[in-house]
Amino acid sequence: MGKPFNYDRLPAIFFLTVGISFSLYARSVEIGSWHHPGPGFLPFWAGLTLSAMAVALILRSYASKILEARPPFFPQKDSWKRVLATFLALIAYNLLLSPLGFGLTTFLFLTFLVKFIFPQTWRRTLLVAILGSVITRLLFINFLETQLPKGIFAF
Amino acid sequence: MEILNQILLGTQIVFQPTNLLFCFLGVLMGTLVGVLPGLGPTAAIALLLPATFHTSPVAAIIMLAGIYYGAMYGGSTTSILVNIPGEAASVVTCLDGYQMALQGRAGPALGIAAFGSFIAGTISVLGLMLIAPPLAKFALSFGPPEYFSLMLVGIVILIYLASGSILKALMMAVFGLLVGTIGQDSISGTLRLTFGIRELYDGVGLIPAIMGLFGVSEVIVNVEKVIKSKVITAKAKNLLPSLKDWRDSFWAIIRGSVTGFFIGILPGPSSTISSFTSYAMEKKLSKHPEKFGTGMIAGVAGPESANNAATGGSLIPLLTLGIPANAVTALLLGAFMIHGVQPGPMLIPKHPDLFWGIIVSMYLGNVMLLALNLPLIGLWVQVLRVPYPILFPFILLFCLVGVFSLNFSQVEVALMIGFGVLGYLGRKFNFELAPLVLALVIGPMMENYLRLSLIISRGSAWIFIKRPISAILISITIALLFSSMIPGIGRRRRKLQERIERQK
Repeated sequence: MGKPFNYDRLPAIFFLTVGISFSLYARSVEIGSWHHPGPGFLPFWAGLTLSAMAVALILRSYASKILEARPPFFPQKDSWKRVLATFLALIAYNLLLSPLGFGLTTFLFLTFLVKFIFPQTWRRTLLVAILGSVITRLLFINFLETQLPKGIFAF
Repeated sequence: MEILNQILLGTQIVFQPTNLLFCFLGVLMGTLVGVLPGLGPTAAIALLLPATFHTSPVAAIIMLAGIYYGAMYGGSTTSILVNIPGEAASVVTCLDGYQMALQGRAGPALGIAAFGSFIAGTISVLGLMLIAPPLAKFALSFGPPEYFSLMLVGIVILIYLASGSILKALMMAVFGLLVGTIGQDSISGTLRLTFGIRELYDGVGLIPAIMGLFGVSEVIVNVEKVIKSKVITAKAKNLLPSLKDWRDSFWAIIRGSVTGFFIGILPGPSSTISSFTSYAMEKKLSKHPEKFGTGMIAGVAGPESANNAATGGSLIPLLTLGIPANAVTALLLGAFMIHGVQPGPMLIPKHPDLFWGIIVSMYLGNVMLLALNLPLIGLWVQVLRVPYPILFPFILLFCLVGVFSLNFSQVEVALMIGFGVLGYLGRKFNFELAPLVLALVIGPMMENYLRLSLIISRGSAWIFIKRPISAILISITIALLFSSMIPGIGRRRRKLQERIERQK
């Protein structure tokens, strides 16, 4: 168990930044007036409202004593590795899908996640990855006729 | 007499072979995602939406609605057999359902859940049939101020019912409104925050957003800690409840159905709230409240009926007003629009085939579900045996392919991953995701109605108070927001939420 985590301040800062950015941006697309609201009207006022709420959340986080009772951000020591690896696998899939094609990218994606997130034996991993990529290829490309990229190996 | 003619029309539509097939596929997929923990009806509908692009609007909506109420049926199986709710609405079913399974009574628990869901589904379809047409007629008198106020009260009710802090839920809603402004402004045609990315011209896609917020983030949270569970398989026999079981649960089913239906009409996670409400009500009315949690059949029958009835109720605001009440109906709204149909007061007069087709399909779907759930319990138990380390890569794969196949766009997949990060952080920091989704969907409509109202009134915000329907809705909004600040009510709301959190 790590240090107790502050659950409010970081997101409040994020929302404050978003709110201010939208309000500033709204000025470049014409806010208009109450008589004739322009395209920037809602982004401007909603941005200001979000910023005000974010400030209220920051102030509340200093006044509140709930912080001590909260658990750490990750439930286990190595949770962050699995979370990060899964997100990276998703990004890699998106980048590799067009050049490598659906079949090969899916095979690599399944192999990586099955083998490294909750490690399985190589035999099981390859069985799942091969069967998974072949069946989903048949399902999506042959049966549902989805226009997925076939890539350099035409698979 | 007119209503009988309409039902006959609906029956003719549903019994066309394609529509029958799509109804069956919908309830089958719904049961499957309901059974599988970590994949809810929202993500499943988003996944299968692209598959309906080439079908008729009736077939598409019949299938997607089937997934919704089918998932409520399927959810009970995991709660009873593994003590893991397949989806949030089945959380309370674990309390007595799993205890019944431990006592060797998994069969009657599953049986009463299926029969209760069937009766509730029937009652909710009847309610939908009777309430929707007059409500739609009433809504014809609504103008931009009424619609704006209605949407505002919808978001505020959702926030009020949110399980965490009201301030945080409000922030998510405002954030959703802001994200909803990205894209081309429908009044002036100005591009807002699109950064030259063509995929953003029509606004942030609803499906990438929902898949990221509900599909990807759910998996990532589960990946932090592996789910370990033991499935009870040997005792899921004798599915037909005994006469005593029926006596103990009949009124629970009726009460659950009526409560669930009316809670379903309210915005928010109505299926979940209705099942909790039904459980609390049964416990209060029981002669042996102390026995709840030890395997009381009424504790299974009531909530399971309530969450099913809520699905019918939640379709009312969508079909009659064109306003989604939760993430699932928001997706259904998207599906209607993709097929060129605008739900709302004009839906019934303009597309009677669609409206009555959906209604009759829901009734037929409930019959199919009864047939699917009771004899096929063994099959669903086998599905549960697929270990999560093998299952989760496939859920992610389906999310990726589902979003990519919408427009074959890497930008939309990247958006989904981005919303996945946002959803994951939202869950970790206790920010509700539902207000964000609802605001994202109805935000652009709200903006238009707000601006039109202000143009009509020449800049006077009094227009929202001067018109009686709008004034009532605005008063409800203000009352809800301020009531949570009144110490007594605020404390009671917090206590109720703490109880729900504990039971989760």
